[in-house]
This record gives sequence, structure tokens and C-alpha cells, in this order.
Amino acid sequence: MPHQLGVTIRATVAPERVAALREWLSETARKGMAETPFDFAHLRGLHFAKFFVLDEAADLEGEPIPASLVFMTEVDAPLRRHLAELVDVAGEGIDQAFGHCVGYPAPGTRRRARIRWLRRHMVSSGASYVNTVGRGLEQIRQEARLREALQDYLDQPDHGWSASMPPARVRSDIQAYVAGRADLGWAMKPPARPSLLWRVREALHMVAVPVAIVLLLPLLLVVVPIGAVLLRIAERRDGPVTERPAPEHLRELASYEDFGAQNPFAVAGSLKPGGLRRTTFRAVLFLTDYAVRHLYNHASLAGITTIHFARWVPLDGWRRMAFASNYDGSVEAYNDDFIDKVWWGLNATFSNGLGYPRTRWLFFGGARYEQEFKYSLRRHQVPVPAWYTAYPTLTAHNIENNAQIRAGLRGNMSPAEVEHWLSLL
Amino acid sequence: MAVTLDLDDIQGLFARGYGQLKAAQFTLFAAADQAAARALLSWLLPRVTTAGAFSADSAWQVAYTAGGLRRLGLPPATVGRFSAEFVGGMADPNRSRILGDVEESGPRHWAWGGPQSPPIDGMLLVYAVDQAALQRHREELRGQFDALGIHTVADLDTLESARTEPFGFRDGISQPLVDGLPKATAGERTVPPGEFVLGYPNAYGLLTDRPLLPASEDPRRLLPPDVGGSGAADLGRNGSYLVVRQLAQDVEAFWRYAQEATARPDGSADPDAPVALAAKMVGRWPGGAPLVKAPDRDDPGLGTDNDFGYHHTDPLGLACPLGAHVRRVNPRDSLDPRPGSDASLDVNDRHRLLRRGRSYGPSTAGSAGPNGNGTGETGAGETGTGQTGTGENGAGGTGTGQTGAGENGAGGTGLHFLCLAGNLARQFEFVQHTWLNNPTFRGGYDDTDPVVGGRHPSGGTFTAPARPVRRRYRDLPQFVRTRGGGYFFLPGISALRYLEQLPAGEPQP
Repeated sequence: MPHQLGVTIRATVAPERVAALREWLSETARKGMAETPFDFAHLRGLHFAKFFVLDEAADLEGEPIPASLVFMTEVDAPLRRHLAELVDVAGEGIDQAFGHCVGYPAPGTRRRARIRWLRRHMVSSGASYVNTVGRGLEQIRQEARLREALQDYLDQPDHGWSASMPPARVRSDIQAYVAGRADLGWAMKPPARPSLLWRVREALHMVAVPVAIVLLLPLLLVVVPIGAVLLRIAERRDGPVTERPAPEHLRELASYEDFGAQNPFAVAGSLKPGGLRRTTFRAVLFLTDYAVRHLYNHASLAGITTIHFARWVPLDGWRRMAFASNYDGSVEAYNDDFIDKVWWGLNATFSNGLGYPRTRWLFFGGARYEQEFKYSLRRHQVPVPAWYTAYPTLTAHNIENNAQIRAGLRGNMSPAEVEHWLSLL
Repeated sequence: MAVTLDLDDIQGLFARGYGQLKAAQFTLFAAADQAAARALLSWLLPRVTTAGAFSADSAWQVAYTAGGLRRLGLPPATVGRFSAEFVGGMADPNRSRILGDVEESGPRHWAWGGPQSPPIDGMLLVYAVDQAALQRHREELRGQFDALGIHTVADLDTLESARTEPFGFRDGISQPLVDGLPKATAGERTVPPGEFVLGYPNAYGLLTDRPLLPASEDPRRLLPPDVGGSGAADLGRNGSYLVVRQLAQDVEAFWRYAQEATARPDGSADPDAPVALAAKMVGRWPGGAPLVKAPDRDDPGLGTDNDFGYHHTDPLGLACPLGAHVRRVNPRDSLDPRPGSDASLDVNDRHRLLRRGRSYGPSTAGSAGPNGNGTGETGAGETGTGQTGTGENGAGGTGTGQTGAGENGAGGTGLHFLCLAGNLARQFEFVQHTWLNNPTFRGGYDDTDPVVGGRHPSGGTFTAPARPVRRRYRDLPQFVRTRGGGYFFLPGISALRYLEQLPAGEPQP
């Protein structure tokens, strides 16, 4: 199985086309993006895709930042194939969307020019979280089918099972059933892993970063405490956030939410002024990148189990930032998870942005001011009018459960392990 | 935490469900204009019962919608300082998805509170010792309404308060104990009062957002000052949001399903199985005993037992299914982070509801419970009400003699669900969406609440964990439908006085 990529493509919208683009996007949202003109259901390895518009804004110096169209996908590697398919398979929709943008190749231009244009407009993520690294779309779909087949099998009335019999017998019946079904034969084997080259690169990164930190320790021991004190002084100037999100903004956000098991999420905002905040933010993103690649790469982002993908994207030369994700459940539940489980992570990242509730020592306070935090996120949230999901009814928990069901078809298990495995069904 | 509640400024519904006042009626009203609205409030003010010491033989409470506050003359910008959920209203189309008010439960089918029905300014809750006394209050009220120009949108009649709800299950067993109220005895887990009444610390130790007014908008200093120290006047203090929903319960379909799903392969009935399945769906036995403590049969001695968790005794849901009704509405210690710990209970505490509902409808005699099994009780356990229902025992019992269906909007059997909240989004809406109607709650795939949950048109699934493998019940019909609803605000007494004294202005419906 391949590893997963978070691709961001961002382009300036022609000023006179902004309104038309918005209208076109919400029209597209009504039709969905699985079929024409995007045909996303036919793109290989595409898990999620979203379009949103960042309004025209001004940075802290008053420099205007033009409106832009942001297109994000979560997709199985390789990138080259994905970009080619965006043009070859999804081309009609991609042409229409980016046709509102400055400099998009004119109709009839050769495909290579359009692929090149998309590639040139890619924006790197500072960090990119994948619920379970290496679990590709094909695997997710297969394992969902496996579970459904097993559910139907379990519902058959004539197994002769009883509560008192050894659970291992039930398991071996199930194993025999799967092995006997030609269409499920793959399930008896473990899923393929990402490419060796990729795994070696990740392993090197996993070691290199701590080594570099140790080497830099003498310097860090001087710089970090000074930085911390300066930050604390800066934090003391931050007041409470009292501004509430506008009702019409809330209405627009809500109009795109809660249609299925998952929702898209996107926030964008300006970084606080000054080098200290920018440096802090870069350092936090660097550590976040390390953490999501090597610590939080299987089924949980520091205790949150409802996020499929997430990414942190610096924008406009680190003057602004965006965070985007695909998560399960309602925005209220998502925010409550933030507050109850990973307040420290949210604080370390977002407190470098303007309009976030005040923090203490970077990690404390912040999200724990529940209402201020919720207002702040809602105010910075960007409506995602056009959104695609390849598996709208599956939560991250469902997907992980399906993978464990498959894993339990192989190998030796203790009676307790068998009992646990049977409880997953 | 030592909290002193200003009980004399809080409406009594916060402190009690008036269980001893057996008869109750909830009247939804609209005023012709500001003068009428103010006149009604002036008439009501001396009657409104507070949360202080109570021994009277009747009680009156009044709550307003956002439109009702505007009608009283509160400027729209000030109304906009209440929570977005309250201002937007329960029937808002985007909110309907969160609440599961779709298809047959959709607001356009509602008997009241929907886009097709007249606007509602507020709700009057009248409680009396018996039907005769209630009838006298009702006549008095009707006279006042006629004299003042108040229109009745719907009268929600209720059944005489009882221990069971219409499906036949004992109800109202588990209510949060509120810190600062006399019922909260030492040693028991309490929830901070700010979870249910504004102006006091909530479960985060913070003051929930509330409508604060510049002091200039309260020149006569009728309102309490903001305890947060901002110098503003607090229109919210000692008030609560009040959720009202009319939930129709299809008692016959519920028991028919329990019977059909448990029939033996030859089609004959298994006498004990329907009640056992219904108990699995509810998470308590009809008599109230929790399944974690009484997994195999009802235990009358445990009828009011509320002292249990799930994680240590039943992590897989073999006794009480993970998706059972009471395990959804109050998961206790089963939540992340660290199930079984105080951290888990802390998360649970942020999603509690203080329920104050009552059942309605004709007697369900003879329809509750499959024939001859001697139970006949059913139902919505911990969602429900507080005190409700007919739920006569079993085998073709006689009617219980409560009032019949109301003239407007009642019809059928069910629950007038009422609950108080400090934060509608985090409490009521969260529970409704993330716990009750969520098909993927606790690792499920297609399991909404087996008792009260919405279903997609092809029906739903209920999974009862078992050894060696789970039992899956399919094609579960929908047993409960929303027939009406609204978000109200139950102001403190000072706030009511402030609203009564608002300057006359342009009518702003």
C-alpha cells in the first residue's frame, strides 16, 4: 500500500470572477463531486477533496492579499499519477474551477501545460496528519466489504455456536468461511506496506531530528528559556476574545455541515506580528510534523480518534496559516474533543494566530476558555462549499475496526485475544 | 465548591419537577402586541414560582422564545446576545439535521413550532395538585388571555405524573445533582450549577456566555450585575434555556417489534423474550433495575439504582449494550479519555440534561407490553421525563384516568420532553446528535438509539453484544417522532421584571 499525501493547490482568483466562483462552487456542492464534471470517484486513491475560497484580505501592514481558491486532496501516492488524473479524469471540473483563477491555461491547452500549472501552484504543508499512515483507499474499501460479508455470515442462523463453546472454534469457522470465498482471499494476507524507499526515508527522519536536537542542545538551552520569557511577556498583553461569530457566517457554515458521518473543516487566519511569534510557530509546526509522522501515525492524534486527515499550511510567506481536516461527527463534538483532549496542542499552534483566546506559557489557557475558543474557531472557519469523501458512512473508528477484523483472521491468539477479536464483529 | 444560588430569583423549575403536583399543562401563546405581552407578564409576575422553599398547591412558570422577547420590546440586537441556537430557533433547517428532525420528524410536519404553524412568543407552565384544580387555573388563564389579547397556539396537556413513561419503563431515575441545591447531598457527584442556570460557574469553572447589557440599557438597575465583573447588567443571570419537544411514542410498534424480533423460528412467541429485548434496548428493566447490575432479569430492589458505572463491570456491553438508550444519554464513565476514570466522568458532566418533561396522551392500557407477560412497561428510561406516563402494569390493565389528548397538537401518546440547559449546543444538541442519533456511536456502524433514535427509510440496526458473537437486530422501525418543539428562555425573576418594564416601542414580532 502507498503512503498518503496531502496536496494543496492554491491560486489567485481573478477579482471580477470571485462572485461567479462562489456561486459555481455552491452549485457544484449541490451536485456532489463524485461524478461529472469532477469524476472524483474515478480518481485512483482519492480519499477526500475540498474547495474553498479565501476572501480578499490585508496583512498586518495593510498589504492586500487577493482572494484565492484553495483545492485540497488527501490521496494515495504517487503524486505524479494524482496530478495527471486531476487533468485526465477530473479535467472538466478542474478546468471550470481554476478557470476562475489568474493565469490558468486557456481551454484547449495541452494537458502537460495544465499539469505543470497545478504543480506550480502547489503549497507545502507544515505538517500533515494521516489517521493511519499507509492505509490506502483500496484497503479501506476492501476491509469494509470484508466486514459486511462477515456480518451477513454471522447472521446466518445455523452455525451451532453457543456462549459456552471455545471462542477459538467460532474464529476458525470464520477463518474457514473467508478462506473459502474467492473474492475475500486477499483478507487472509496482511496489507502491503508503503514502499521500502519511503520507509527508509521516514526512518532516517525519525532518527535525524532527535540527533539534531541533541547536537543543538547547548544553544537551545539558552534560546528556549529566553524565548519562553519573552513569549510570556507578549502573552500578558493578550485580552479575552469577546467577539462572536456573525449569525450569517454561522448559517453559511452550518449549511454545509452534518450530512453524513464526516465533515470537512478549514480555518484560516493571520499570525500575530513579530519574529518571536513566527519563530515559535515554525518551531511548533516542525515538532508537529515530527509527531504526526512518528508518534501519532496510527488511529489517534494525541487522543483524538475522529480525524481522518489534517494538515497545517503556512500561507503568504508565513503571514497567515490554514488548518484543514476531515473529521467524524459534529463541529461541536470536534471542538469539545479539542478542549478536553488536545488543548495543549491547539494552544501551541493557534495561539500564534490573531484572535485566539489568551494562553499562558504557550500551552495553558487558550482552548480551555471553552466559549472563547469555540467563538474563535467559528469566526476563523472558512465555509467548504464543495467537498468529496470516498467513504461517507465510515468513521475513522469504523475503518480501524475493519482493519483489526482483517488482522485477526491471521496468526495465533490466546483465548482472551479471540474473545476480544470476536467483540469487534 | 461552595456555590450560593440566588434561589429566590430563579424560577422553580430549575430546582424541582413538581412531582407532587400531579396535574400540569403547558400553554404555548402569542401576544397581539407589546402591550398585551407586557400585560400578561405583569399578571404573571406575582404568580411565578421561585426555586426557594416551596409548599404551595400550584406553580406557574413562564419562558419566552426569541420572538417573544422581541415582542416584549427587547431590541433585536439585545436578543442577539442570547445564544445563537436560541436565536436561530429549533426549527432552523440546518439545526434539523443536528437534531434528527428530518423526514416525518421534520418541522414542516410539526403540530406546533414549525414553519407551517403560528409563531410562538412563549410558554406558560401551570402545575396543580389535581385535574380539578388545574381546570380552575385553566379557566382563569383563558379569561386573562381573552381580556389581554393573548392567543393560545397550543395547549400541551399532560398525564398525571407517574413513575413510568408510555413505553412502560420506570423513568426519571437518573438526574444530575446540581451543586448548591438541597438535593445534592455530601459525597455524591454533583454538576456545577452553571451547567443549568446562567451566571454561575459551569463544568469548565467558567461563566457560560449570557446576554450582558451595557449598564445604560438598565437605568433602573432592575437586573443583577455581571458576576464576571464587567460592570454590565446580566439579563441572563438566574435564567436557563428551556428545550421543549413533543415526542410521539409509538407504543404499539415498539412492543410489536420486540415480539416479532424474538419470535421462535416456528413463529411462536417466547414469553419472556420481548421484555428482555426491550430491556436490552433501554438499558434498564421496566422496573428500573440497570442491566449492568441485573443482566438477566428485573430486580425490584434495584428499581431506583443509580450508583454504577459501565467501564469496569461491562466494558464490552455484554450486560448493557453499548448502544442501549441509557448508555447513550448518560455514558457515565465509558468515555475517552481514560474510561473508568474521573477524567471520563468530567467529560460526561459537560453533556448532562436536567429533565422536566411529562407524558401525554390517552391511557395506553392494553397496548403496553406484549400480552400476558405481566410487565407492560416500556420506554424511554433516562431520556424521558422526570415523572411521567401511564405505564400501567401489564396484562390489559385499566386506564389510569389522566386527561385525554389536548385540543391542539397532542393526539397520540408520548412525551412532552423538557430540559434545562446553560449551553444548548454542548448539552442538548450534542446529546441528540453525537450520542442518540449517531449511527456510529461507540464504534457502531448503523445503530442509532434503539428506542428514541431516528432511522433511515430502510430501518436501523440494534446490536446487542453477546458471546460468542453479537446479536444483530435489523429493520428496526422508528418508534419516536418529533411532533413539535422550540427553544425557550426561562428568565430569572429580576429579568422578568426588567422585561415587564421595557419602554414601549415599535412592535417587533
